[in-house]
Amino acid sequence: MSRRIWGAVGALMLTLGLSAPVAGQTFAIQGGTVHTLTGDAFVGTVVIRDGRILAVGPNVSVPAGAEVIDATGRHVYPGMFDAVTTLGLTEVGAVDVTNDSREQGDFNPHLQAATAVHPSTEHIPVTRANGITHAMAVPQGGNGAIPGQASLIGLDGWTVEEMWMDAGAAMSINYPSLGGGGGRGGGRRGGGAGGGWSQVEARYAEQVAQLDEWLAAGRQYSQAIQAGADIRRDLKLEAMARVVNRDIPVLLSANGGRDIRNAVEWAERQNLRFVITGGREAWTIADWLAEHGVPVILSPTQAMPSGSDASYSEAYSNPGRLHAAGVKIAFATFNSSDSRTLPYEAAMAVPFGLPVEAALDAVMKNGAEMLGLSGDLGTIEVGKMGNVIVTDGNPLEIQTEVTDLFILGRKVSTDNRHRSLYEKYRARPRARVIS
Amino acid sequence: MKPRIQRSGVGTEWGARISVAFAFALFVVPQAAQAQPRPSRPDAVSLYAIQGARIVTVSGQTIENGTVVVENGVIQAVGRNVSIPRGAWVIDGSGKTVYPGFIDALTTLGHESAPVAQGFGFGGGGGGPVDISNHSWGPEDRPGTSTWVSAAEDITAGDGRFNDWRNHGFTSVLTTMDVGLVTGQAAVINLGSYVRPRELVVRTPVAMGLKLQDRSYTGYPNSLMGSFAYLKQLYYDGMHYGAVWDDYDADPSGKVRPEWDIALEPIRQQLAEGWPALFPAEGRKEVVRAIATSAEMGVTPIVHGLQGGYEAADLLAAAGVSAIVDLDWPSAPRDGDPEAVPSLDQLRLWDRAPTTPGVLASAGVRFAFSSGGSSDASGILDGARHAIAQGLSEADAIRAFTLSPAEMFGVDDRLGSVEVGKIANLLVTSGSIFSEGTRIESVFVDGEKFDVPERVADASPAGRDARGGPGGPGGRAGGGGRGAGSDEGPSVDRSAAPVAMSQDRGAYRSDDVTFITGATIMTASNGTILNGDIVIRDGRIAEIGSGLRRPGGARVVDAAGKFVTPGIIDAHSHMAAEAINEGAVNVSSMVTIEDVIDPTDRGMYFALGGGVTTVNILHGSANPIGGGNAVIKLLWGADADELLIGATPGIKFALGENTKRDREPDRYPATRMGVQDVVRQAFLDATYYMEGWDAWEAGGRQGVAPRRDLEMESLMQILKGERWVHSHSYRADEILQLLRLAEEFGFTVRTFQHVLEGYKVADEIAAHGAGASTFSDWWAYKVEAYDAIPYNAALMAERGVLVSINSDSGEEVRHLNQEAAKAMKWGDMEEEAALRLVTLNPAIQLGIDDQTGSLEVGKDADIAIWDAHPLSMFSKAVQTYVDGQLYFDIELDEARQEALEAERAALIEKHGVGQAGGRGATDRIASPGQPNGEVNR
Repeated sequence: MSRRIWGAVGALMLTLGLSAPVAGQTFAIQGGTVHTLTGDAFVGTVVIRDGRILAVGPNVSVPAGAEVIDATGRHVYPGMFDAVTTLGLTEVGAVDVTNDSREQGDFNPHLQAATAVHPSTEHIPVTRANGITHAMAVPQGGNGAIPGQASLIGLDGWTVEEMWMDAGAAMSINYPSLGGGGGRGGGRRGGGAGGGWSQVEARYAEQVAQLDEWLAAGRQYSQAIQAGADIRRDLKLEAMARVVNRDIPVLLSANGGRDIRNAVEWAERQNLRFVITGGREAWTIADWLAEHGVPVILSPTQAMPSGSDASYSEAYSNPGRLHAAGVKIAFATFNSSDSRTLPYEAAMAVPFGLPVEAALDAVMKNGAEMLGLSGDLGTIEVGKMGNVIVTDGNPLEIQTEVTDLFILGRKVSTDNRHRSLYEKYRARPRARVIS
Repeated sequence: MKPRIQRSGVGTEWGARISVAFAFALFVVPQAAQAQPRPSRPDAVSLYAIQGARIVTVSGQTIENGTVVVENGVIQAVGRNVSIPRGAWVIDGSGKTVYPGFIDALTTLGHESAPVAQGFGFGGGGGGPVDISNHSWGPEDRPGTSTWVSAAEDITAGDGRFNDWRNHGFTSVLTTMDVGLVTGQAAVINLGSYVRPRELVVRTPVAMGLKLQDRSYTGYPNSLMGSFAYLKQLYYDGMHYGAVWDDYDADPSGKVRPEWDIALEPIRQQLAEGWPALFPAEGRKEVVRAIATSAEMGVTPIVHGLQGGYEAADLLAAAGVSAIVDLDWPSAPRDGDPEAVPSLDQLRLWDRAPTTPGVLASAGVRFAFSSGGSSDASGILDGARHAIAQGLSEADAIRAFTLSPAEMFGVDDRLGSVEVGKIANLLVTSGSIFSEGTRIESVFVDGEKFDVPERVADASPAGRDARGGPGGPGGRAGGGGRGAGSDEGPSVDRSAAPVAMSQDRGAYRSDDVTFITGATIMTASNGTILNGDIVIRDGRIAEIGSGLRRPGGARVVDAAGKFVTPGIIDAHSHMAAEAINEGAVNVSSMVTIEDVIDPTDRGMYFALGGGVTTVNILHGSANPIGGGNAVIKLLWGADADELLIGATPGIKFALGENTKRDREPDRYPATRMGVQDVVRQAFLDATYYMEGWDAWEAGGRQGVAPRRDLEMESLMQILKGERWVHSHSYRADEILQLLRLAEEFGFTVRTFQHVLEGYKVADEIAAHGAGASTFSDWWAYKVEAYDAIPYNAALMAERGVLVSINSDSGEEVRHLNQEAAKAMKWGDMEEEAALRLVTLNPAIQLGIDDQTGSLEVGKDADIAIWDAHPLSMFSKAVQTYVDGQLYFDIELDEARQEALEAERAALIEKHGVGQAGGRGATDRIASPGQPNGEVNR
């Protein structure tokens, strides 16, 4: 098969992303306070048709035939985005056979999470009932690995084709970590971390060299293709070519302050499009990150301090400090069953310095912007995807209910396994008690 | 030089000759195997006189220009005007100093060091096949127990270390075996050169060696709390054994003859004769444990290690406990991460460990020195010099090398001072032993003179060699293994005063009277008081209401706009515990968290920051019947025993997946049928055990009391209603099964923990009278959590179950208020009912609701103040009071953090670590409380 045909096939595969929403119904959400996240909130109407937002404003007329949702006294927000999850890739954590998040081998840039996303997982209805409408399903891997491509998925659909919006939305790379600074190695009797610092450094250099090699090979491959060379198709290098050509962003995982610095400097050297994911100690270099314009998708705020001497609120105040320094942040759960707690990870940062508006941005808007998805997601604007939620309060508050849910322009039920079990057992007749 | 000085290395002494000869037989010169040992030195001179020396007698005044006469290994005369016997080999002592020979108070000299297994610590994976050839299934297997082994036996006099130690001034050592939890009988030996090693023995046994962890077996005990339980049981058994034999020996007629027991016989002897036990203890918390445990065991402890002893001197002085301080001071690692910032506790230990001897001396604690398992002796004197630079007097240092260890081991009638009649163990130096440039010229052991070669005699810091070797005898609680390579960190100014410690523990304020005014007070028992006031007096709530008069002298806390709740109570925690699971056995009711509370765990302070005042520390879920719990108040900075608040004792049970999962080696049970069976059989056994005691009581306590069995004891307490069961559970069916089993044996399950399917059998739980303590919204992490729903708490409460929400997590505990609010979202619980989930209800479940859990007059002033409604995500705790004392304050916390940072910076500067700076690297908290890799939730 000729190179040109392969190229066409590749292009077809890659553009399968952002699949067209199902044509169909029109919805008009009327009378609610609309928080578009592009300006001040107002009482008005949001019209969704054929999957996308058709109109939004205080004085929008309702198209004929639209299903009207009366949101009077309630609030309309963009749906929340869990920017790093394993949703769809795992069902029961402790049961290996239900886990599809981690493939063998350290370098699998051609794998795509969407391939394994289980559309009927119970986790998805549980998650979306709390207002999360889309998520980035990310393959997992070890330190220094390239686990594969993250897939942007809408949290509704009979099949994955109906759910997914972009199977290859980003490349996941776990930047090699130098560890926690080897502090634990400074034991009573000495002895460095993992057999001495020099060994740690050597191992690190080796891992960075491996990543460099993958990128170099991707460049080589891409140049050869562009030059019209007749070479065999290589799935892995094809994927790496998209990275080096800046077609897709890299989710670059790093948590320690030093690790983040190293990761950023490396990605800049390699001229990648990237965001840092994790960022537990990002606050320690907040100004530096701001200077470099590096956005961060934060691992859960509800986390322990990084060390026994750290401030008790170190993790809680990390988002607020980053925001204050001008770093763009988004929140993520890095989890599946806990994906529904995404709003609480954002809310936790509020009493510790993150303005509530910034917290909302960080669960709705920023993730889309960082990952080049803001043409379709992140705010309530005409032409964007119909991922919209209606709530009876601030979506970051525990007691707030999501009353209506629109995903890819479809009205989606908030029913889920938990509510069904609740209703079933609530209806259990009083037990015939033995004792 | 006399020709006989040529005695380097092995091969000249009998014990070593055996092994060397063996090697030769195999490889080199077959004749050597048949060769007779021949003396390589002339017959010992038996009469010496050291004349005109400065004699540091230790027991009395130092004698200037004095003479010591040694004959046949004994000191015959000491004094200024001593006549020299005829025929004595006279040594000119002018300008020289004579000391009693030094004693290293803890070594393995004369014994091969135990092979050190890979890694360190309990249990744990580490990959590779597990050797279970020496597996212990319970205390009855007597794991690592060698009470009968005497360190005086099988001494290898050719141990190369003898020479080395002698050359550094040591003439006697305490030697112990290094294998086992009970390593056996320690002996004091002289470092002589005898053909018959037994001639070296000065006295045996002088102590029983104990350790708290050991690799000579697998299985039980595989946790620190298991080790404590095991040692206690062993000594209870020793007492019982003694009583049974005494009874039999007094009148054997008609009695069944007791079984002779090789392990218990020496304990019986030890208890009768009163020799001490060598107990490892690194710092204050370990000293607390050692004192408490040894009291239960009926033995006198000598604590050793003790490099953190600078913070434990008051305890040792009050208890009259002696100590052996390891002189191999900790220091920063070489080849460490340049950006590593060690923890403050670590830095403080490096900085202050060498102050320990001086601090102990000031407190009046008797202490000795040890090389702590070093493979060579070169650093011992240097370690002492460091301690002297940090405040120890030279006289106290010398005593710690001589008379103090002699007293501790009961040999001060023969060793430890230069006195007439004592063994002629002497040390002759060119000057003060601790001075720079002083040479050790010769030592006398049992009156035999050994000259010290010049090249090794310089004991000054320069030329101190890399030191490596196995961990010292006695095992280290929480220490690291000695690094194989050089462990010398950057040089530190040894005479510099320790960096001042900023306060990182203790209450911020302890006012007699506090007046919290103007708050929205959520009492958790009697509704909400708007614009309310609370008067705290002497740690209790004295008044509560609106418009209260401000008491005179009260500290006023203006809480306008703020919310006040009872301190949060976590009914399920694993914080502040140094062990969680004793999982090698399926019934571990003999162990208890109380033995391993770690009051230095900063997780306690982190939790105070979340408004938490009380936690229930539970054993893990590795076995159907786990161990005892500990209900503590977060009195951050107090000792372990002071944290306990007298809650009804509890015990952890566990059902389902965690208990039955695959283990290496296989452990019964593997099914829920087996789990039930284990519990039933245990209670059956306990019933018989109880009958045995009842019969003895009923019979007027005639004869020997039944054997006390710690495992049965706590089960018996359950049967009597004196100990409450808190059972880990998930599935509805297993919950039901335990309810019925409890009813079969006539007790009530106090709480089900996790109880994620509790909503399916809520009626049954309520009818039984059990409580339920659950998570808010965790699910799907395992199959038995797949039907978990966030409505669980509300649903169970609706059906009449007393419900609490717990954390089971060092992180989640910090926002249990939010977890409670989730019951309002999922299940529509009322506000006060939700607040009770993390306050009054857990207090009731733990039996402490008479003290805490709600804001009522007379209860302890355990109070959290929040800057917004505590059931909102947007609130945080700003103050936390425990017993009326302010243990957390969000503003004072900041000041404290700054002070700690400054202290840390000073320590880092001084000790030359982490100098690349970089706040990006701190040492990490290990994942909370799962030392043996068991998953507990």
